[in-house]
Amino acid sequence: MDADAVAKAFVEHYYRTFDTNRPALVSLYQDGSMLTFEGQQFLGAAAIAGKLGSLPFAQCHHDINTVDCQPSGPQGGMLVFVSGSLRTGPDEHPLKFSQMFQLLPAGGNFYVQNDMFRLNYG
Amino acid sequence: MALPNQGTVDYPSFKLVIVGDGGTGKTTFVKRHLTGEFEKKYEPTIGVEVHPLDFTTNCGKIRFYCWDTAGQEKFGGLRDGYYIHGQCAIIMFDVTSRLTYKNVPTWHRDLCRVCENIPIVLCGNKVDVKNRQVKAKQVTFHRKKNLQYYEISAKSNYNFEKPFLYLARKLAGDPNLHFVEAVALKPPEVPIDLAMQQQHEAELAAAAAQPLPDDDDDLIE
Repeated sequence: MDADAVAKAFVEHYYRTFDTNRPALVSLYQDGSMLTFEGQQFLGAAAIAGKLGSLPFAQCHHDINTVDCQPSGPQGGMLVFVSGSLRTGPDEHPLKFSQMFQLLPAGGNFYVQNDMFRLNYG
Repeated sequence: MALPNQGTVDYPSFKLVIVGDGGTGKTTFVKRHLTGEFEKKYEPTIGVEVHPLDFTTNCGKIRFYCWDTAGQEKFGGLRDGYYIHGQCAIIMFDVTSRLTYKNVPTWHRDLCRVCENIPIVLCGNKVDVKNRQVKAKQVTFHRKKNLQYYEISAKSNYNFEKPFLYLARKLAGDPNLHFVEAVALKPPEVPIDLAMQQQHEAELAAAAAQPLPDDDDDLIE
């Protein structure tokens, strides 16, 4: 599978899981994983899952507009950059966001080493 | 401050920023005012909906451009652009959720970092709900920071005008200013137990006579 296909598959999986079963995202991170979420930093799968799980909305729906991908480093990692919009309820205005992941290989699979998320507004 | 695509008026108008945790009822509150709801504008690049709320006072009309977020606060703090040029503010919490009151000092700090010395009202919303988690006498933050506090219930319209009247008086520098026309509001969606609420107001008055607890910003355990 080429890098673009892996990135696309990861992105689909990530946001589907976020929108339907957020606690399951924990399995995508490891102890050394880092998340910067709207400027707040979290280290390790447990802290990251804690943050994502504590976001104060039950529903969320992501719409992805673009996915860009580059091979990264000698270990066979990948940088994935996503832009899109999300909605936390049917009556809410959509919010634009950007998110960047660095995926590293582990045992024939990938995990998220770095994850940065920002809402895009003024 | 109106949005670029929004009408302006020839009577005094002020930018009012509304902050507080997601789910405390900020949007429900501003949407009670019917003409504001009619003239609101959304600006996606800054993620804000601005509701122009007019009131008629004995000194003429006054307009509050109420800035309401599109829910970004559920993700983290708000950007400075939301606060810049704010001339008055409402900090909202939900009396049925302790956490939302615990976060009030953070909202106050973020607000005051950009808007120095503006009049601020603290509002405890949802006082119509029977099972309150934050009792009137536990609300002490406003006394430490010289804010005005009102208990409100957006869904029943209880005390809807109070925060605006306080801010109008401060902005006009006239403590005797009063509203001379009733504002058109959405009909109440829930009843409010006025006897119960009078008791809360009495508790609040009694608490105001007590010395402040010295737990600084760590409000409720």
